Amino acid sequence: MTARAAGRLALLVVLAAVWSAAAYFLWGSQVPSSLRLPHVDVRQLFPAAQLRAASSFGRFTTLDWALAELTQLVVFSLYAWRGGRFARESAAGPIGTGMLLGMIGFALVWISQLPFGVLSLWWERRHHLTRVGYLASAFGNWLALGSQFVLLCLALLIVMGFARLVGGWWWLPAAPVFVGLVALSAFVTPYLLTTHPLHDARLVAQARVLEKTEHVQHTPIVVEPVHDVTALPNAEATGLGPSRRVVLWDTLLDGRFTEPELRVVVAHELGHLERRHLWKDIGWYALLAFPGAFVVARLTRRRGGMGRPEAVPLALLAIVVLDLLALPLQNAISRHMEAEADWEALQATRDPAAATALFERFVPTTLDEPNPSTWEYLLLENHPTIEQRIAMAEAWSRYATSAAQSP
Amino acid sequence: MDAHPVQLVVEDDLARSRLTVFLRLLLAIPHLIWLFLWTLLTILLAVVTWAATLVRGRPPAGLHRFMCSYVRYQVHLSSYLALAANPYPPFNGEEGTYTIDVRLPEPAAQARWKTLVRIFLALPALLLSSAFGGSGGVRFLYGSHRSSSLGGGGALVGACAILGWFASLVRGRMPKGLRDAGAYGIGYSAQVAAYLLFVTDRYPNADPTAMLAGVERPPEHVVRLVGDAHDLHRSRVTVFFRILLALPHIIWLTLWGVAAVFAAIANWFVTLVRGTPAASLHRFLSGFVRYRLHVYAFASLAANPFPAFGGRAGTYPLDLELPAPARQNRWKTGFRIVLVLPAAIVNGALGWGLVVAGFLTWFAALARGSAPWGLRNLMAYALRYDAQVNAYGLLLTDVYPHASPLEGAAEQLAAFDEP
Repeated sequence: MTARAAGRLALLVVLAAVWSAAAYFLWGSQVPSSLRLPHVDVRQLFPAAQLRAASSFGRFTTLDWALAELTQLVVFSLYAWRGGRFARESAAGPIGTGMLLGMIGFALVWISQLPFGVLSLWWERRHHLTRVGYLASAFGNWLALGSQFVLLCLALLIVMGFARLVGGWWWLPAAPVFVGLVALSAFVTPYLLTTHPLHDARLVAQARVLEKTEHVQHTPIVVEPVHDVTALPNAEATGLGPSRRVVLWDTLLDGRFTEPELRVVVAHELGHLERRHLWKDIGWYALLAFPGAFVVARLTRRRGGMGRPEAVPLALLAIVVLDLLALPLQNAISRHMEAEADWEALQATRDPAAATALFERFVPTTLDEPNPSTWEYLLLENHPTIEQRIAMAEAWSRYATSAAQSP
Repeated sequence: MDAHPVQLVVEDDLARSRLTVFLRLLLAIPHLIWLFLWTLLTILLAVVTWAATLVRGRPPAGLHRFMCSYVRYQVHLSSYLALAANPYPPFNGEEGTYTIDVRLPEPAAQARWKTLVRIFLALPALLLSSAFGGSGGVRFLYGSHRSSSLGGGGALVGACAILGWFASLVRGRMPKGLRDAGAYGIGYSAQVAAYLLFVTDRYPNADPTAMLAGVERPPEHVVRLVGDAHDLHRSRVTVFFRILLALPHIIWLTLWGVAAVFAAIANWFVTLVRGTPAASLHRFLSGFVRYRLHVYAFASLAANPFPAFGGRAGTYPLDLELPAPARQNRWKTGFRIVLVLPAAIVNGALGWGLVVAGFLTWFAALARGSAPWGLRNLMAYALRYDAQVNAYGLLLTDVYPHASPLEGAAEQLAAFDEP
């Protein structure tokens, strides 16, 4: 081994150690490591018809997703192979041409995804989960594509700009810029949502108590009206620092959920804020962005590097493949944080019965499968399964009981 | 390509009688009543002509003559109303009796399928005519008080007429640019009307150069288009997503526009004091005006490639020649914001036409992979005028924008000749 190779290996080891240490720090959780989830028999919890409906819905959705992903890969592969020829449609110089190639790649994928989007919409409409019309969906997607174009151009401007400045080392300055942009986006997003304050005085009062319990006082609880487009219930913790808040979809407040169940929802979202999950999200993004950008930089070297527009189609393919490969890890991270938020909610409400009732209600209202197959779990589930969440509530009961009994 | 069978003939000398200009609308009242009656009869006879042309494959001679007279009368009256001509027009729509006239073809065989679906085929031309065209064409009445013209009522002719009214009252002459623009709109509407009334089955040609072929060209303007006009190729993929692809440019143009406003204010002070714009500001604003042209040309499909973000000369197939900083009249500089208003009005009308032409080109380019020559030249006219207005408004030059659809410089003629 030459000294140069040894030096590289040593650097790699150091970087891997730093990465692992950061990942270990971010992975830290309040859920006791000794906690073992009990077995839950979903066939006893849910009527067979409900399980069949959820399974049927999930099968189609998964198949649609898989075909859409496959098509996307094929389109990006073809585009990586032949997309460079669109460079002749540009008079914009290297970076501008790179932007054009990026946008055309996205546009072609958008077209290829349309049938799957329509199928998915049809399926959700058939199950009364969405109220969006086909035309509105297509038009909305079109506008969304426009905003994707703008963001893509910004990203390519950063990448290609640095690549033309510092060559193959572009990923070093570019990755922190992207991390900064993600943080900025997380900060700004709450201000872009159309929301109104929560009017339910009892729920507001209970939220105040939960905020105090979870040490996140003065967190605004707001309601986002979405009932025009969807029947799905949802909530989210969003924002950083002064912009942080809990957003409840108004579909949660339409009478399908009881007050104790809503209390669990609010506690869960406050749990995200208490455990600084949005910051951790950004941290994980940073941990994945550096190696991801490095891999893209290496892969595009054969096309002259990211400073050349010809490399953009290949870079798009690389990003999509990397994203797909990282999907199980991203889902695992997300499930880990969601489980911690569930635990925080149980600690704050001390009401496992309400939590169990809430999770049980998700099956008929969202058609989520309580126990999906392993590969669905790995690739698609960014929350613990309903089976796991119910088991978590039961485990908390046992944990709390044993803790109370211990001298 | 053969010349269009409906030919505009312009023999107007631009001289205007102030008295008749002042009273123009009132003087036209008898004509408007006569036009109303004639239009009613024309609508009825158009149905008969349609059926006869469908059966015989050519329009009956008598009906053809009637339709020709009607189209010609529309041109005469529109020219009178829009101040594109001076004399009081005759009531009979006879050929060769008016200074703005139209030469129409003899009855000829027409493709039956085109006759069958004529009203649908005419829709794009009607849309364009409504944006650019004159008040020529078939008027329909609907409701009790509102009227609409299938042949036009376009913003361009209207804007030229209103501005021309003031100019003619003051100077006793119609500005050539406004007259040419008005005549172009009226000529295009006449082609649409002739197509719609089965005078010819040749589709209207929006090319301003072909329409005003016999008209004297205006003097060369310091702001002019250059580049390869014959590059009509359009990439279908980029055409389909054109507006979305233009989004980054539109955002950048907006940001640049904000800076350009401040630069223009600074340039105004400098030019007023020194008599000459500051070189750095002139360069910055020239880049903005050129970049705006590139972006608009790309978005409207007047050109194909994705433009660069810098607005540099020589980087785009449809480019702009701008003057170097030169001495400017201080009076014109001081009152620039007021002086630019009439040009801005015409520009607004042309801008609407540019949108419609781009919209129509989108369908054509998607189907054929190339832009129609006529629409392309029409858009080039709108873009050139927009650039001239911007250059004037941003103090790059004190030469007033020329509204004529015709390019002024002899060396640029080749760029707009038929391919």
